[in-house]
Amino acid sequence: MLARLTPDVLRILAAYGAAVALFVIGALVHPGFASFPSVTSILLVASFVGLVAAGQCFVILIGGIDLSVPWVLNAAAILLATASLGQNARAFYAIALTLGMGALVGLVNGIFVVWFAVPAVVMTLAMNGVVEGLALGLSGGMTCAACASYAPPVVAAAVHGVFLGIPAALWLWLIVVLIVSFVLAFTRFGRATYAIGNNARAAFLAGVNVNLTTVFLYVLSGLFSALAGILLVGFGGQASLGMGDPYLFQSIAAVVIGGVSILGGRGNYLGAAAGAVSLTALVSVLLALNMPEYGRSIIYGVVILALLLLYGREQRE
Amino acid sequence: MPPESSTVSDIRASGAHHSRRPRATHVVGQNIGLILAAAILLLSIIIFVGMFAIQQNRLPGNFEITSTVNNTMPLALAAIGQTIVVLTRGIDLSVGGVIDLTNALAAIYLAGSVAHMVLVAVLVVLVGAVAGLINGLLVGLGRLQPIVVTLATLSIFQGLAIRVLPQPGGTVPDGFTAFLVNTNAPFALFFLVLAALGWMALRRSRLGVDIFAIGNDEPAAIAHGVNVVRTKVLAYTIGGMLYALAGLFLAANATSGDATSGNVYTLTSIVATVLGGVSLFGGRGSAVGSICGAFITTMIVNILFYAHINPLYQSFYEGLFLVIAVVLGAAIGHLVRRGRA
Repeated sequence: MLARLTPDVLRILAAYGAAVALFVIGALVHPGFASFPSVTSILLVASFVGLVAAGQCFVILIGGIDLSVPWVLNAAAILLATASLGQNARAFYAIALTLGMGALVGLVNGIFVVWFAVPAVVMTLAMNGVVEGLALGLSGGMTCAACASYAPPVVAAAVHGVFLGIPAALWLWLIVVLIVSFVLAFTRFGRATYAIGNNARAAFLAGVNVNLTTVFLYVLSGLFSALAGILLVGFGGQASLGMGDPYLFQSIAAVVIGGVSILGGRGNYLGAAAGAVSLTALVSVLLALNMPEYGRSIIYGVVILALLLLYGREQRE
Repeated sequence: MPPESSTVSDIRASGAHHSRRPRATHVVGQNIGLILAAAILLLSIIIFVGMFAIQQNRLPGNFEITSTVNNTMPLALAAIGQTIVVLTRGIDLSVGGVIDLTNALAAIYLAGSVAHMVLVAVLVVLVGAVAGLINGLLVGLGRLQPIVVTLATLSIFQGLAIRVLPQPGGTVPDGFTAFLVNTNAPFALFFLVLAALGWMALRRSRLGVDIFAIGNDEPAAIAHGVNVVRTKVLAYTIGGMLYALAGLFLAANATSGDATSGNVYTLTSIVATVLGGVSLFGGRGSAVGSICGAFITTMIVNILFYAHINPLYQSFYEGLFLVIAVVLGAAIGHLVRRGRA
């Protein structure tokens, strides 16, 4: 086992270490911070970042990036509320429609990145604007009659409901962590993802269908953003404008802190999940300290830099 | 992302012309991004003038030109800074934070005599330089990826900006506004010409050549004795100074400060850079193109306004236009390069 402590494994362990350390610090400065209800509520908030980070992790592993996260998430939240009208009977239809929207956006992203050679940064940035414009325009700036709808009770229950003492959304995230980690580590698709991230041409010559795999990864990213949007409506009750904005930088930061190389080919979702927990715990500690907004923002940046300098540096050639 | 072939472009960047094709074709091929950007700008101006003339029964006059130029100045300056960073194969997401911070500082400290205002303006630009220096040191010496470094420093600079100016406010003296963004005539174009001349001087300097060399092929640049750390640090520092200038122009335009008004420039500076024909893979492009890109984005907003498009759909059309411009630009660039091969 010790023989398998490669730098990549060490990075994931460091991300978990950072998460644990933050909970310890939190408990020291604010008694009760590490209590069971407090930890579960922090993890619940982390699960939204973590789900977006799953999609972000997939595309970053091939050296791409998804900047369309904020408005795919926001549009998903609006679509779920307006399509379901808060009724359980329409919940299944609304969820299917919303996930379909996320997948479609990812599909278009992937098609343009692959077949029109648009850089991922530009394509997903433009797509964010396209989805934003459509979401704002079609909802009349959230003034439509259906826009005030609440999440269907089943969706709210899927977030807040408690199973074996743990919120249902956390179980969902745990399942996602297990599936994504398994897929990346043990399936043909996962190996193809790493192969493309390391060297797309070599992967192609080795028989990997680079184009289809890339498109599928962007579809997954869109799906996960939409899923996070659905759960956020369930969590907060209603959709609102701008609710997706924090998730772009948080998802990228979580993935990078988790030891995934922004250049692709290295890292694992297990690390990104730990990164999501670390970031959320950090914000919670600062909130517990009554840190004003500017202080949280500054320390947030400093901690990310410190973690990166600790283990995110490129090897000297 | 498909890796760009870099072998041919290395030779081009080092200025060796081995081909026998006519010089004019070569110049077009080399500057295709800039030419396309200028063409799109011209087209958007023609469309705008046409729509304006039909609806207002007159041509856009001094007022329209002045306000267009003044509104575009911050973006144009930010885009030049972004371009210099992108040319090193980097990217700067902290643009918005630096503009927030410098804009807030300008709104609070600009006052009093001319000498005092000049001093404050110089200090604000120095703050931008320090911000860029931090980015450059982390990227160059720290060997961290630009996208994550500037993501983190964005958060830090935004926090500092809110600390400096918690509520929108502060006042910018009329004299300062009149000097930078005179509302009577598009005098601000003078500063833009200065910036463009500065860019041309930079491009021909040793530093400029090094920036292009690193962007094209870093290992090759190292092999040729380019000091990568120094070049990157300087590129990010110059970028930071330009964002600070953008912050000053933004403050002059608004005549007051807002610690969040700069945030949009992170993404719009990248859009202007891309529309300006600068390759995000580094080593190809011109800041003059990015200035065109900045004006294109303003013209699109103007056109949408006169086309009576519901403002809620504005970002939809902007996103659509960005993709179309990039896809068409790549296709035309491809044809031109193939045609002269």
